[in-house]
Formats: sequence, structure tokens, C-alpha cells
Amino acid sequence: MDKATDSALLQEAKKKAGQCDRCGACLPVCPLFGAKDVELSSARGKNAIARALAEGGIESTPDALAAVNFCLLCRACVENCPSKVRTDEAMIDLRQFLVERTGATNAKYRAVGGLLKSPGLVRLAAGTLAVLRRLGLNDLFPHGMAPDEYTRAHFLAAFAGPAALGQKAPSADVTVTAATKVAYFYGCGMRMMFPRAAAETLAILQTTTRVLRPDNVCCGLPHLAHSLRGEFLALARKNIRLYEDADLVVSDCASCGGTLKHLASFFADDPQWRDRAAAFSSKVMDLTEYLVKVGYTPRRKVKAALTYHDPCHLVRGQGIKKQPRDLLQATGKFIEMEEADTCCGGAGSFHMDYPAISAKILGKKLRNIERTGAAVVVTGCPGCLIQLTKAAKSSGGKFKALHISQVI
Amino acid sequence: MIIEMITDEIRKKIHAIVGPENVLESDLDRFVYSYDSSFVPLLPANKPEIVVRPLTTEEVAKIMAVAYEYEIPVTPRGAASGRTGGSVPLQGGISLSLDRMTRIVELDEKNMMVTAEAGVRTIDLYNHCAARGLFYPPDPASWKFSTIGGNVAENAGGMRAVKYGVTSDYVMGLEVVLADGAVLQTGGKAIKNVTGYDLKRLFSGSEGTLGVITKALLRLIPMPKRRGTLQVMFGSLDDGCATIHQMLQAGIVPTAAEIMDRFCLETVARHSRIDLDPAVASCLIIEIDGEDDGALATQAKQIEAVAKKCGSIAFRAAGSEEESEELWAIRRGLSSAVAALAPNRLGEDISVPRDAFPEVVRRIRAISEKYGLTIAVYGHAGDGNLHPSVLCDLGNPEEAKRVHQAVDEIFAAALAVGGTLSGEHGIGITKRPYIAQALGEAGLRTLKAVKQALDPKGILNPGKIW
Repeated sequence: MDKATDSALLQEAKKKAGQCDRCGACLPVCPLFGAKDVELSSARGKNAIARALAEGGIESTPDALAAVNFCLLCRACVENCPSKVRTDEAMIDLRQFLVERTGATNAKYRAVGGLLKSPGLVRLAAGTLAVLRRLGLNDLFPHGMAPDEYTRAHFLAAFAGPAALGQKAPSADVTVTAATKVAYFYGCGMRMMFPRAAAETLAILQTTTRVLRPDNVCCGLPHLAHSLRGEFLALARKNIRLYEDADLVVSDCASCGGTLKHLASFFADDPQWRDRAAAFSSKVMDLTEYLVKVGYTPRRKVKAALTYHDPCHLVRGQGIKKQPRDLLQATGKFIEMEEADTCCGGAGSFHMDYPAISAKILGKKLRNIERTGAAVVVTGCPGCLIQLTKAAKSSGGKFKALHISQVI
Repeated sequence: MIIEMITDEIRKKIHAIVGPENVLESDLDRFVYSYDSSFVPLLPANKPEIVVRPLTTEEVAKIMAVAYEYEIPVTPRGAASGRTGGSVPLQGGISLSLDRMTRIVELDEKNMMVTAEAGVRTIDLYNHCAARGLFYPPDPASWKFSTIGGNVAENAGGMRAVKYGVTSDYVMGLEVVLADGAVLQTGGKAIKNVTGYDLKRLFSGSEGTLGVITKALLRLIPMPKRRGTLQVMFGSLDDGCATIHQMLQAGIVPTAAEIMDRFCLETVARHSRIDLDPAVASCLIIEIDGEDDGALATQAKQIEAVAKKCGSIAFRAAGSEEESEELWAIRRGLSSAVAALAPNRLGEDISVPRDAFPEVVRRIRAISEKYGLTIAVYGHAGDGNLHPSVLCDLGNPEEAKRVHQAVDEIFAAALAVGGTLSGEHGIGITKRPYIAQALGEAGLRTLKAVKQALDPKGILNPGKIW
């Protein structure tokens, strides 16, 4: 990236961070601050760094890069900020800027980013994981990157009651007719980690309509979050092109959905792509959002007590809070947990980069899940599901973790 | 220029006292302990040489003993949510962060008092007491993230001050580490206590310049059983203020009475896309509390009658929690709506006799016109404390000059009507230039004499208040 673009990013970050009046409202709500309570963990600290970088108070050092990398991008600070400072976006800008400036090799993220860029490699990785699972070797992988998969079959075997119909989810104000072309977005996380949950998503979608399945590429969030903006934009263009024929794009991954819904903003200054990106973003829907709109009825009522973990990219990224709960209420006995919308500590690759802090954050989540007494914790994001599967394991079988499509 | 004074030997001593994991020394760490929520410029940064995070009073005492021996400046810090630079380590040295001291030591239900360490967040203290039906009333806007130690050191106020007073009205006793490391216990649970000088009052609002407050013993009252919210619209600011005065004279004391002028209302209306009646020039949001719904209804009726006599044009009483939230939303949304209007916002904190409220607002309006600056006026009309916010771009040197002149005149206006520089934010760094004017020469000399007696080496939060 050239110098001009690179300083534009810094100016962007400064514009966002400059709105911070340093009141401190973000400190108690930041999950990272909760795990490591020093000012540098906080959004306030990071925004001050953004300003100081732009105004010449601190240098572009690897330490500064480490400081801005230490963020879950969970938006808890944004939601609680009196001025709604978009710290997460400022951090994404700054990461890119600092990688360019410090000449950080960024090798690890480049490697992961390279893998995710190629659908072939993603499929290959998914295959490898399936083999490992079958061999029971997935525990060898660090950080739960190869989680055990608890399937819908396991779930039904344990909890299915009589196959009576549950009550109907709230009715939709959009009717999907036979003419509506609904396409599925198959995210890398679902593909590599939870293919069986993805199969359930498809099964559900197919009860509502005929589903298009373009061979999509990665949504690009891992690239965007880790200073590979060029790659992110290239992937975005590819996806926009691939879904041009669809009327709706449904995602069962909170992170993909959140990213895709926001694509338009990255092309706002690009006359060639602006309109196409906006059109694409406006037709993206989360699975639960879509299902509630079409009046989906869960396939079977179950006896299990269910609780729900809000993925950051769904609850704050897309404002979706009610729909998954409505669907779960129609499926089983729903129990709300404390701090359901607090980040689980997964945050893409954060849990691999900072395992100790991530484990501390997950520990809180685990206690909140256990306190509900629910048998299953449900979520709508493969990133969270990796974490929750780890939590389920360390609870010693007190509860299981499932993707929402495996439950409803 | 800050002279570095913490040698390896001193560092070693500090590490031994609090443990190396509770000392922050990297450049970035020091940078993020250089600011607070005031408009003291972020750069050049007022970095401490070292950040120290003690867990106990004993550790604080030992750190102070070291600082005293080597004459190192010490700036106590809670959540750094202050508005005047109180916790900014202006002369480097040690940033003494008390945020790990989060124990609520005792809740004495019989005496209705609570003892808490300095780092306890105000909201946590409130909730802890509320669970037992006891009420800690002071509610600075920062109460969800600021700490008790900071609240006492700044003598923080809040919206409920109209009826319930400010932080120092609840301080029964304090534990303070003095400049040389000695630990002072002052005050106690006896309600009547005239044994010696009232030091707890002296330390309340001392802004970390006289000692490090490590524990506070705070008085509680029974939790009011019901709360209600009223919203009254007026055709002029004077009518709104007159309503408050007549209410209080008639013995109707609301817990909070917040006023917003036309400019503020328009701003919030635009920000939240609400329609605003063009006849409305000011809005009062009133909170009342009482024993039961009947008591609330009586108060609401009385207030409605007073407001009507004063020319109100609309009156609304919230019928539910949600409606109450909705009425408060205008006031709560104000700060960010106003902040969004300009790159910088200089929020001031003057306090005037209640009856001078309309007059000082008129003077501020005139200042706003004279300097061609937008100044939003809102505040706690019930107690005469108002927050004029100058909206500006300090990046523009010409405008910055006008802003500073305008702020000077706002302070002058407050003093001219019998008011003062600060109601609840303290003096810190930002109001230093005006202190002599506000206190007079004898006043300032007395303050300095107290400071000299308690901090002869001048190591406690140097560079503040004057």
C-alpha cells in the first residue's frame, strides 16, 4: 500500500478516535479490561494512542501495533459510549497503518489469510479436520481450533420430545415467494469447523425455498482485521459479483453476515463498485433474521433447557437480539443467561494470540452458562462456537454447545 | 521539562512494595496514564515516570514513605474520569492508581453506614447498599465508572444534589495516607463529633493535594420506595427557573431538576429525530421520590400547579418505568448530541445561587453572541449548578483564542452573580488561572497554608488548584 493511502487510514482512525472525550465509560464494559485491568487494555487508551500517533505524540512502533491488536473488536465499548466512538473501526484502520509503517511481517495472518482466500484450501482444511475428528485426534490441535462437534443427531437423541410442532415464531412482514432467489453464504468457519451445522442450515433453508449456492469465497473479515485490506477488498468484489443474481443472501455466521452487511461502507468512494456493494449489502440477512421474517417453525419441539450466547457481530454488529431468542423459545425451554452479550473471548484469532486472557474471559462465560442450568448453549457464529465447545468440555459435560441451526 | 528522578534503587524499592506485576513502566503504559477526561491537551503528554498500583493501605503508606524520602511527585488516580485534570501527573513522578483497592469493607446496617476502599466504583457501592434497602444518593454523571476515592477527592455532585446533597454530605470518616506515609483515621460512626478540626471535610474535595484517600466511611439513608419523572415545557427559560424556585419555597423538594434551553432541545430533537413544538423555549425534567404512589401523585399535582402558575405550556408525568426512561432520554442524550456538533467541546461547571440561574444564562448567551461561539447551556437548575458547553474547533488558533476569552468571561459572569468556579468538577489544572479571583488573596493564602502544613515537600499532586 502506498504512503498516501496509509496516512489516510491514520487520519480515518484519528477522526473516529478524536470523538472520544476520555470519560472512561468504556472501561467497565470492556471484556479485556475485565481480564487485564490496565488502561492500555481499554478503548479509551487505544483511542488516545490513535490520536497520539496521528498528532505526533507516539511513534509507530511494534509496541503500538501490539496495543491495537489487543482488541476483541466486540463493540461493547461502542454500545456503551456516550459519544458512540467507533473504536473497533479505528483499531482496524490502525492495524493496517501500523503494519505498513512498522514493516511488521504479519506472517502468521498472511498465512491464514492466504489459506482463507482459496476456496480449494478451505475445503481441504475442512476435510483434514473431519479426518482428525474421526480419528479422535482433534485434541492435538492447540486452542480448540479443532473443536469436538456435537451434532443435531446427538442433540435430538438426548432431548427430542414428541415430534409435535412448536409454536410459531412471530410472523414476517416480508413474504418470500417462489420467485425470491435466496442464496446461502457458506463461511469458512462453518465450512472448516462445523460443516454438519452448515448442513443443518441448508436443510432448514430448503424447507423455506429453493436455495442457491454460489461457490463463495471468504467474507474477508480475517484479512480486514489483520491488516490485509487489499485482500479483503478483492474477496469482497468477488463475492459481490457471485451474488449479483440473488435477491437475498443468508448467512449462518455472525461474523460473515456482519462483514457482508457493512461491505458498502468500504466502497463508498469507489464509483465503480459503490452501487453494486450497496445493493449486495442490503440483501444480506442473518439466518435467524431470515427465518423469523418468513415465519419459520422449528422442526421439532425439544425438552431441553436452552440458553443463548449473543455473538458480538450479531448483537452489536447487526442489532440482532430478539430473533434467535424467539426461535429458541419456540423450540425448548429458553433461559436467559447473565451477560449473554459479553464477548466469549474468541474474536477470530484472538484466542490463539492471547490464550491466557481469552481463557479468563471464557471462564466468566462458562460460569454464566452454568448458572442457567441449561443443557445446551446455543449461538450463531462458528468463532463463538469454538470457544463455547471448549467451555462445554471444561464444564465436564454439564452442558453442550450447538449452532442454532442444529437446534431449531 | 520533567526531570527524571526515579533511580534504579527507587524502582527496586517500589517493585518490592507492590510487586513488579503492579508497576507499569513502558512508554505506552505511561502514556495512557497521562490524561483524564478534562480538556487538558493530550499532547505533549503529561506522562508519569512510573505507574504504581497498590492493593492495600499499607502499600500506599510504604510508597508514600519512599516518595517522601526522595521527594518524588505523587498523583493519586481513580478512574481518571475527572473533568479538570485532577489525576493528570503534571510533574511526572508516580501515578498512584488506586483502582485495585476495590473492597467494600463493611456494610453496617444498624448504623446505616458503609466502609469502602478508594477504588470501589460508585455504582458497585450503590448496588451493594441497595440490595439491603439502603441508599447512597450521590450520583455524579460518571457514577457507573468513577470511583469512591475520586468522588470524595473531587467532592463530586450529581443530579440528586437538589434533595440529597453532594458526596461530602455523606462522608462520616476517612482513612488518608499523608505525605510522609503516616496513616490518618479521621471521623467515625458517631453522628455528633466535634473533637478537633473537621478533617474529613477538609480532605473531601482536596483533589489529592493533601493526602491519599484510601478508605471512606459513608452515611446511607433508607432507599426511597418509589420514583417518578415529570417533564414540563415552558415558553421561556425564566418560567422554568421560576417554577423551581417556587417549588422549593413551597417545600416541594424534587430529587433532581434538570433544565435545558431551546438550543439543547433542538440539538437533541435533531439528533434523535423527535419533533419539537416551536413554542417551547425550555424544558424541565424533574425526578421525585416518596413512600408510595400516593405520595408521588400528590407531589406531581403540586408541581403541576406551580408550573402552571409560572406559565408552563406542557406537563407530562411518566406512567411507567419505560415512560420515565423516555423522558430522561432527552437529558441523557444531550451530552453526546451536543458533542457531535463540533470537533471540541469545553464543558464548564459553574455554580451560582439558585435565583441567579436565569441571569447567568442570559450573560452566557451574550458572551456566546459576542464571540460568535455556540454555547449549549444545561444543568442542575435545582441547585444552581450549570454546565455551559462551548462548541468549537481548538485546532483553529484564532477560534481557540476566542474560546479562551469566552471561558474567562463565563467565569467572571459566575463570580459577578455571586457564584463560583466549580460546582462539582474541582479546580485541577483547567481552572487554576481563576482561583485567586474566586477566593481572594486571603482565601488563597489560607489554602496554601493548609497545603504547606500537610505537604511540606510539595509532592502530593503538584501543580493543581493554584
